[in-house]
Amino acid sequence: MYKLTLILKYLRKRRIAWVSLLAVILCTAMVLVVISVMGGWLRMFKEGFHGATGDIVIARPGSLSGFPYYQEMIERIEQLPEVNGAAPMLRSGGLMKIGGYRDVVQVVGLVPEKMGRVNGFTQSLFRQTQNADTATNQPSFKLPLPADEYRAYADRAVTDPADWPGAIVGTYVIARKNEKGELERPAAAYRLPMTITVLGIDEESSSVDINNKVQRPYWVVDDSRTKIWQIDDKTIYVPFELLQKDLRMEAFGDAPARTNEVAIGLKPGTNLEAARAKIRDIVIDIAKARNLPMEEIDGVVALGAPVKVMLWQEVNAKFIGAVEREKVLVTMLFGIISIVAVFLIFCIFFMIVVEKTRDIGIIKSVGATSAGVAQVFLGYGLAIGLTGAVLGTLAGYLIVKNINWLHEMMGTLMGVKIWDAETYAFDTIPNTLNPNEMIVIFCVAVIASVIGALVPAIRAARLNPVEALRWE
Amino acid sequence: MPTTAPQASTATILRAAGVRKSFVMGDTRIEVLKGCDLTIRPGEFIAIEGRSGSGKSTLLHIMGALDEADDGTIEYAGRDLARESSSARAGVRNCEFGFVFQFYHLLPELSVLENTMLAAMIENSWFSFRSRRAELRDAASAILKSLGLEHRLKHRPAQLSGGERQRVAIARALMNKPKVLFADEPTGNLDADTGRQIMAVLEKLHRDAGQTIIMVTHDRALARTADRVLVLKDGILKNADRTPSTTG
Repeated sequence: MYKLTLILKYLRKRRIAWVSLLAVILCTAMVLVVISVMGGWLRMFKEGFHGATGDIVIARPGSLSGFPYYQEMIERIEQLPEVNGAAPMLRSGGLMKIGGYRDVVQVVGLVPEKMGRVNGFTQSLFRQTQNADTATNQPSFKLPLPADEYRAYADRAVTDPADWPGAIVGTYVIARKNEKGELERPAAAYRLPMTITVLGIDEESSSVDINNKVQRPYWVVDDSRTKIWQIDDKTIYVPFELLQKDLRMEAFGDAPARTNEVAIGLKPGTNLEAARAKIRDIVIDIAKARNLPMEEIDGVVALGAPVKVMLWQEVNAKFIGAVEREKVLVTMLFGIISIVAVFLIFCIFFMIVVEKTRDIGIIKSVGATSAGVAQVFLGYGLAIGLTGAVLGTLAGYLIVKNINWLHEMMGTLMGVKIWDAETYAFDTIPNTLNPNEMIVIFCVAVIASVIGALVPAIRAARLNPVEALRWE
Repeated sequence: MPTTAPQASTATILRAAGVRKSFVMGDTRIEVLKGCDLTIRPGEFIAIEGRSGSGKSTLLHIMGALDEADDGTIEYAGRDLARESSSARAGVRNCEFGFVFQFYHLLPELSVLENTMLAAMIENSWFSFRSRRAELRDAASAILKSLGLEHRLKHRPAQLSGGERQRVAIARALMNKPKVLFADEPTGNLDADTGRQIMAVLEKLHRDAGQTIIMVTHDRALARTADRVLVLKDGILKNADRTPSTTG
């Protein structure tokens, strides 16, 4: 009983201990906020990549010429019960000219009608999906305006502008965020003529010949926002057949048509690894029959650039890995800073034990055991840890939940702007908390406080009562 | 003047035999106790007299299981305390012995009532204390009332006079009804009048309740209030000459 009484008395009366309590509160809140924001950022990043990629991708990394017989693959893969849809995609570097603006972009060829069953492309479209006034929910490259309007906008064109194909651009190709973080599209966003130049790829040598340059005019018909800056700032989506033709990857004579990617969407709840195994079996089967280089068939590893069946995480491992490492790094840095709290508790508790040496002698003279005295100070540390962890978790929770409001207030009152809405693809700072992470942080805060009190508690327990009573 | 005390029993409650203790100071080992023998019977009031630094407090601490002797035995109720574990000795201090120190040694964060109940708090677990709380509170209040402190229950030690603090220390020592009360210079920090009041309390305890008391003091006059006076000189305990002294 005396332990609880003394712990509560010391907690109330020894105000120096409030400094360690404050340290625990601040460190708990700080780590929670950092982990939550970084975790939220990572999750949004993953969702963005997942949405842009699909669940599984068949690709031939390192080869510009791609791989043939993709139609056969898609046909057989779509028969699998767990597969929602599969679609070919082409990716190539290109040069974009829009108005007076020129930039190197990634040109993606896709079949928009099929993408809804494969990945989040359909949901990423502003005009055809997100904007209630213009939404059709049937993504296509069709020109939305009457032919004469296009002719009027490009009256000096050599070919008929009404015959130019439509292209979808990454949102940041035509739009910018204002200071409030709102996207601003120009009034003529979907009346913009654009020229894309790509280079055809020779199948045999996988080389690029400057003479194979193909320049094609397009009309911007929509913009796609995956919320991944790297994608939304530099990507142009064009009809698959056109890009295939421009890249010289269409069927020609005996040579079959090629693609460099097949994106596959799975039904919800499907086990990714199990589905990948089934898809890989199909691809290996076709590879064997058609003599395609697979990364490994019957234990034989292919040389060069083999066809691979990859999960979406593997496709985007470079980007996701970077953000994951960033999260670990920042968490570690703040974790190291939090060790200061443990040291602070140690110092303060040591001071308290020294200051309370005579009290320890008194308690022992009245019959307290060494273990009992140790428990008083460990319990004191535990009480500081529990109180600090509860208040710190609460503070962290409130900060994370209101982080965008706080950020806005900081901007309004102090002119401080940490999260630049113009730069980040996400409109707001992530403000979701992971309950598991909250529990871990809470427990670590409590354990750290007890560890901080451990050495002083052992010192207190070891004190000889007579020496303690004589302490000056 | 010795009090008219109840006749002490012929049985032994506490016995020290061949107690030796030395301290190391720098390169020198100082032998403070050189083989002290002492037998205490239940109900006795014994005073151990000696000059400052003679080792009387050390002997008191060893007999009270607060410290350990280098050699010799401390036998309490048939148990050799030197052979007992640290927690067993703590148990004896809690339930069998009571201590009154020169500097009161009260816990500043606790009230008078809480300081008094400290031994009971240590003895009882949380659940046990909760169930006996009223009973223990009444017992502590009664002791404090008997010492004239009923109006000070909620006060902190810092709000009390020296004499009141020492009475609280006595109340704390009596809380668990100790078999032996150890008093280490109980009046050493008090003025003469207050010191006499405290001694009167101890004498009353001995006289009315038959409390066994072992008191150490450097004050010969104070020592002579006890049934038996021993002198600790050169590390050896001897029976005192009962001739009245003029020294303070």
